[in-house]
Amino acid sequence: MRVARGTLLRNLAGSIGVLCTVAGLAFGLPAIDSALPAVRPAGTGPYPVGGGVTVTPPPGARLDVTLTRPRDTRGTAVFLVGTVRYVIVVAPFDGSLAAAAQRLRDKITRGHQITGKEFPTRTTTGLDGVEGTYAASGRSGRYLVFLAGDVAIEVTVAGSAPALRAALAAIEASTRTITYRGGKP
Amino acid sequence: MTPVHPTPSWAHPGKSLLLPAFWVVLMLIAGGAVRLGLFVRESFAAYPTATLTALVLFGLYAVPFCVFVAALDYLEREPPLLLATAFAWGGLVATSISIRGNAAVHNLVAKLASPGLAAEWGSALAGPTVEEIAKALGIIAIVLVARAQVNSVLDGVVYGSLVGLGFQVVEDVVYAVNAVAVAGRGDQVAPVVATFLLRGFLAGLWSHTLFGALAGAGIGYLAVRTDRPLLIRLSVAILAVLGAMGIHFLWNSPLLSLGGGAGIFGDLFVKGIPPLLMILFLVRGVRHREADYYMAQLAALGDRRIATEDELRVLAHGHLRAGARRHAHGRCGVKGRRAVRRLQRAQAQLAVELSRARGINVPGLRIAPADWPPPPAAGVMASRTTAIATTEVAATPPAGLPHIPTAGMAPLPSVAAVEMAGLPPTAGGETAAVPAAGVTDLSGQPSTPVDGVAIGVARVAAAPVQARVLGGPSAVRWRDRVLVERGRMLALGHPEATAPLTRNGSVRRVVGGIAIFLAAMVTVGLALIALGAS
Repeated sequence: MRVARGTLLRNLAGSIGVLCTVAGLAFGLPAIDSALPAVRPAGTGPYPVGGGVTVTPPPGARLDVTLTRPRDTRGTAVFLVGTVRYVIVVAPFDGSLAAAAQRLRDKITRGHQITGKEFPTRTTTGLDGVEGTYAASGRSGRYLVFLAGDVAIEVTVAGSAPALRAALAAIEASTRTITYRGGKP
Repeated sequence: MTPVHPTPSWAHPGKSLLLPAFWVVLMLIAGGAVRLGLFVRESFAAYPTATLTALVLFGLYAVPFCVFVAALDYLEREPPLLLATAFAWGGLVATSISIRGNAAVHNLVAKLASPGLAAEWGSALAGPTVEEIAKALGIIAIVLVARAQVNSVLDGVVYGSLVGLGFQVVEDVVYAVNAVAVAGRGDQVAPVVATFLLRGFLAGLWSHTLFGALAGAGIGYLAVRTDRPLLIRLSVAILAVLGAMGIHFLWNSPLLSLGGGAGIFGDLFVKGIPPLLMILFLVRGVRHREADYYMAQLAALGDRRIATEDELRVLAHGHLRAGARRHAHGRCGVKGRRAVRRLQRAQAQLAVELSRARGINVPGLRIAPADWPPPPAAGVMASRTTAIATTEVAATPPAGLPHIPTAGMAPLPSVAAVEMAGLPPTAGGETAAVPAAGVTDLSGQPSTPVDGVAIGVARVAAAPVQARVLGGPSAVRWRDRVLVERGRMLALGHPEATAPLTRNGSVRRVVGGIAIFLAAMVTVGLALIALGAS
């Protein structure tokens, strides 16, 4: 049982072609992706997060375009303020504010620990929400949940304790600008 | 040139082990298996019930697709190991490639354009390009590993659809587990069921299996139709893969979407059903071409004990085969159904074995001179198939089968066989002259010497000759099997594996099937709207 040399060479060439295409898709495309910067300036005006929600980013914030996805009914925006990650997630939700807060806490407690008490908060456009804190080894965080229309707005802010302290004021000012459908009831 | 390239007799599965492509495929499948294994292990750790439900649901979901593909592949069945390889490529390799490639394309769109464009069009751009190429590579890999097994465009369709099915099943399991994670309510089954209804029912029929079938048809054409110029074959293959990409793009894109709950139905009727019908129509044509080829192998034997004209018509179509089995069940019960099923299987296998003993001018048949081999005894090797079959079956019944004397079976009048070939019967219905010096094709050109066993007598319209049809030992075995099953059917009083023409019944079944399908789709769609999954 043997294979003709010509067949073997053609098969080898084909195999190398398949292998190269697989490598191109699985490693080449991610390599090109990595070579391009993922962040860009977020700008100063209101940024559409998705699901009808907008926010004015903190001054000097950068937008992580690889994680930001604005859509009609939902959306995610990831800002970087220094080394602090400021994430806003909008998703359809038909429960109460307490239920939305519980859902976010459940997500947070998969890798972090809730610290301190939860207290009410409010945006400048009148959206009611709750706010709390969490921590993990070497990182501190804040979370906020708002309910607007048929969506829940989840905000998480995380970074090292010194960086978070430095950025917190600007981020809190930004969270107060969160608006649902332009502030219309 | 024929639309089918039968597997040559020298093809041996073990030869694949000597090919670099085999080891490349094995390595990639092993890598994909490790990756998927890690995912399943993590999913089981986080959501055991939901993960198990997803695996079971989507595993069962693959069954009807496999049944459909098996029915497509009835006449010339593909080796199960190759079918499993195609499925594994789709499920393990193509998904692993696509997870990385898709994310990169989404990010590139976001970086080079905007996150908004990536959100709206990312899936439409990444899915067709990365996933369709990853799946097409699987079909190419199958061709590289077992070129001899890709005999027709239909084989490309079969391998392509299995690559797509593997991809679809694993992707849906990943989506289901992700849905559980996103829901954030712990180990719940509801998101899995919603994913199953949405991706399995509403989006499942015109998904990866369909795209893979289209790409497979093109690659099958490239591999099989070597009678056509390479440029044309390449163009057809590229067009088929681009077609698969186009349908995938349309399905993933926001184009033609109505949005909201009604959008489900909009997508269903505007973006789903037309490509489904188009590709099914294409597959139907490809299947008929292959069936015609194999039926010609049996028809050329001109032996009604092997297959009657009606049986040939029935054998070529899945629904008619099923109808014949039902008819036999109605007349003779389970034994009748079983006998018809075995006869159909044996006829199909005989057709394939005959095709493997390829001849010249008569596709799939090797024609021996009238005096080949030298007759062992006067009268035994008469040109009538009946005589040959009677002698050999009586002498060597197939292993494991009861001996059924065929001597009592009346030879059919030669007129039937001649009519089948559209020829006037020769004088006495017996052998006409065939050049005796070596094996000669029907145009009179000398051919290479052949070795084999006489299976029957060919009556060919191109030249008024009758000559013995040769095949290997497998062909003899299957011919004997056909005769044994025919004997069983005769004993049951059901001599022919056909059913009365039931066009009305077929129309009723098709219309009923479409009505049930549409009703199921509407019900599932409404259920999803009610659940808020739109």
